[in-house]
Formats: sequence, structure tokens, C-alpha cells
Amino acid sequence: MNPAIEVRHLSYSYPGGRRALDDVSFAVAPDECVGVLGPNGAGKSTLLLHLNGLLPEHMPDQPHVWVTGEPLTRKTVDRIRQKVGLLFQDPDDQLIAATVFDDVAFGPRQLGIEGAELEKLVVSCLDMVGLGGFEQRQPHRLSQGEKRRVCLAGVLACKPAVLVLDEPTGGLDPRGRREFKQLLQSLPGTKLIATHDLELVVDLCTRVLVLDQGRLIRDGPALDVLADEPFMLAHGLEKPHALLHRHPHGPNA
Amino acid sequence: MLQHKQTNPNKIGLWRLGAGPKLALTMLFVFVTALGPRRPDAVYLIPTAVLGVFWCLSRMPVLFALKRLVVVEPFIVGVAILALVRPETKPVFYAVLLKSNLCVLAVLMLGYTTPFHELLDVLRRMRVPGPLLTTLALMYRYLPVLAEESVRMQRARASRTFSPRRIVLWRNIAGVAARLFVRAADRAERIYLAMCARGWK
Repeated sequence: MNPAIEVRHLSYSYPGGRRALDDVSFAVAPDECVGVLGPNGAGKSTLLLHLNGLLPEHMPDQPHVWVTGEPLTRKTVDRIRQKVGLLFQDPDDQLIAATVFDDVAFGPRQLGIEGAELEKLVVSCLDMVGLGGFEQRQPHRLSQGEKRRVCLAGVLACKPAVLVLDEPTGGLDPRGRREFKQLLQSLPGTKLIATHDLELVVDLCTRVLVLDQGRLIRDGPALDVLADEPFMLAHGLEKPHALLHRHPHGPNA
Repeated sequence: MLQHKQTNPNKIGLWRLGAGPKLALTMLFVFVTALGPRRPDAVYLIPTAVLGVFWCLSRMPVLFALKRLVVVEPFIVGVAILALVRPETKPVFYAVLLKSNLCVLAVLMLGYTTPFHELLDVLRRMRVPGPLLTTLALMYRYLPVLAEESVRMQRARASRTFSPRRIVLWRNIAGVAARLFVRAADRAERIYLAMCARGWK
């Protein structure tokens, strides 16, 4: 079976010369949940933008990214964008319409879905994220957690094969973080989560990729990598509290 | 203008009317008023009376209208001043002032009594070009975001401003405006990427 995501020898420099990604290669199996870790400026968000074909600005002739076996090229970019649902770091960047309904309907409308089918899809996606009845609400009047859920509903409405999430719990209070984590847990399918929330990684991810200065420096089982304190500290991270307080005879001890 | 709480649970007066008829009435009002004579004339009592009746039906608070009118007034006066270069200056100047204020009040009333997304739906049904609709929708969506950002930046500046001198204040406002412009451009880039990620072409 083809990997859900495959990246081979991906490098990228921003205009101005800053190297953001340096020869990154990895593969994510279908239904796997993988965390992408690293200090600020490590290249996590840049990597996620590449998976959706938003970077580089000019597609090279040779693909470096494959999604469910399909190479990402200039010709396939529209299909790939439908397959890869990308949740942005700041919900205000993603919520563009005047009402929640229109925002969730934005992606499906691009796919030509209209009328009763569109309405049914929007309602079901809002129900899925626990915001049934929010259709006519205005995005700027929602709480940060609700905005994040609407963004996720908008992504789910495009029926992606892979969910790519950039800091999904950033800016949320503890309750919001807990609820959003439960929501992500309930969603089936392949997930790639770039985050600084290591507790989220402990609970959701089976595997982590660690980036530093644009290079993939570690790829391994989440608990093994997170428990390696010297390694974590050396790369601007730290051992999560969940592992510090884990019972020696408990699960995953 | 558009970022007020549009809640009228009783749906009385103008609130009961659909967005389409309200938009049509407003456009008609603006068109007819704009065609009025180029001097202050008793005929302007008719649109003023019509506006007064609709104002009562809309229950628009006077302060709400005045606050927004003050923001638009410099532009109205600017346009009216342009009339002063013509031969018969004063009557045209006053007529432009009168017409513009009446039209702006009518548009304010439309904005007060109609949720913006309903207006967008009407415009979509009227087959207004997509890029124009998208621009309007984005403007409506991001005005409060920019306003919040501006307030946050002003507070941050004020917290480190220890001189009460006016020149420092003006310099700070100019700095905030410039920074806001740069941030708006950055945000526009991110919004564009987010739209592309959901299939926008």
C-alpha cells in the first residue's frame, strides 16, 4: 500500500537565502498519527506548506512530495490540495467568510458542490466538530476554541485523505486544548501535527519527526524520542510533564 | 459601520423587510437624490421626509448614525469643496453636502437593519462579479481583526510611552499605522495561502 505522505530529499530556501528545509525525507503510513516537533524556526510550518503544494512558489519538474502515491506537480496540485487538509496556525487567517456556514462551504463550493448537498455537508461537518447550530454565527464573534473548530470543519468539508495541522492547540486555554485534543482523537485517518504541545503528542501521536534548522534529525516512536531528555534539551524542547509523572508500572512504562 | 450587533428579536419595522427590497429601495433613494437640483431647494424636503419615516421604522439610534457620519464627513466635505472650483460655487457646494449626507444616512440605515451576509447573498443572486463579492466579504471579515490588532499595538506602545508631548503621541500613531499596514500585508499573504489550501484558484 502507498504511504499516505512521502517526502524525498525536500529542500527549500526562502527568498533572501534563509535555508528553511534541508534534504528532508520521510514517509507516513495510512492512518498513522505523526507529530512534527522542533524549536521555533525549525521549518515545521514550511514543511506543512510544502505538503499542500503552497510552497515552493514555482513547482520544480521533479516531485519531492507524494500524497497517497500521487506525485505533487504543477498538474496535480489541485487534486493534492483536496487530499491534504491543512489547518493553519492562526484561525483568523483561515476564517474568511461573513458567516460560519459560508466559511465551511468555501472549500466544497470550489469543488462545485451546491444546494441541498452543500447544506447537508456543512451541517454534518459542524456537527462533527461539536458546533451544530452555529451556521449563521459570525466568525469574529466566536471564541478562539470555536474559531479553531470552524476551521477544522472547513477542512473536513473538503473530505481530505490526510489532515495536516499546524499548532492546533496554540492559543487555547486548558479546557479548549483538552476538548480539541479529544476532537482530534475522534477523527479517523492520517494526521500530521506540527506542535509545541508535547502533551498532545504523548496522547495522540505514535511517532514523531524532530526538525532543527531545517534538517530532520530524528524520526522514531513518540515515547522513545520524548523520553530522551538530553536529546530534547539539545534541540530546544523538553521532556513532557506527562512522561515525568508517569507511573513506573503504568501503561507505556 | 457594519460591525454592530444586528439583533432585533422582534423583527419590527424595517427589520421585517428582506435584504433584496431594502437594497433596491436604498439604491433608488440614492439615485433619485443624486439627480436632485444643483442648489439647496425645497424639493429636498421630500427625500428628507422619506428618510425620516424610514429612520423611525428602522429604530436606528441617533448616536449610532452620528458617530459614523462624523467619520464619513471629511470625505463628503472634500467632494463638496471640489464643487467650489465651478462658476456658481456656493449653491452647488451646499447641494452636494445635502445630497451626500442624505445618501450616506440611507446607506447607514441599510447597514443597520440588514445583516451583511444577507446583502452579500442578494449581490450574489444579482450576479455581481465574484472578485468584487470576495473583496467585500474579506473587508467585512477582516475589519474587526485589523481594529483589534491596532488597539493591541496602540496599547503596547502606550505602555512604553512616558512622555505626554503631543509630537510623541503623533509619532506613535504614525508608527502604529505603518506597522499595521505591514501586518495587514503579511496577513493578506497568509489568508491567500489558506484560501488556496481549500481549492481557491
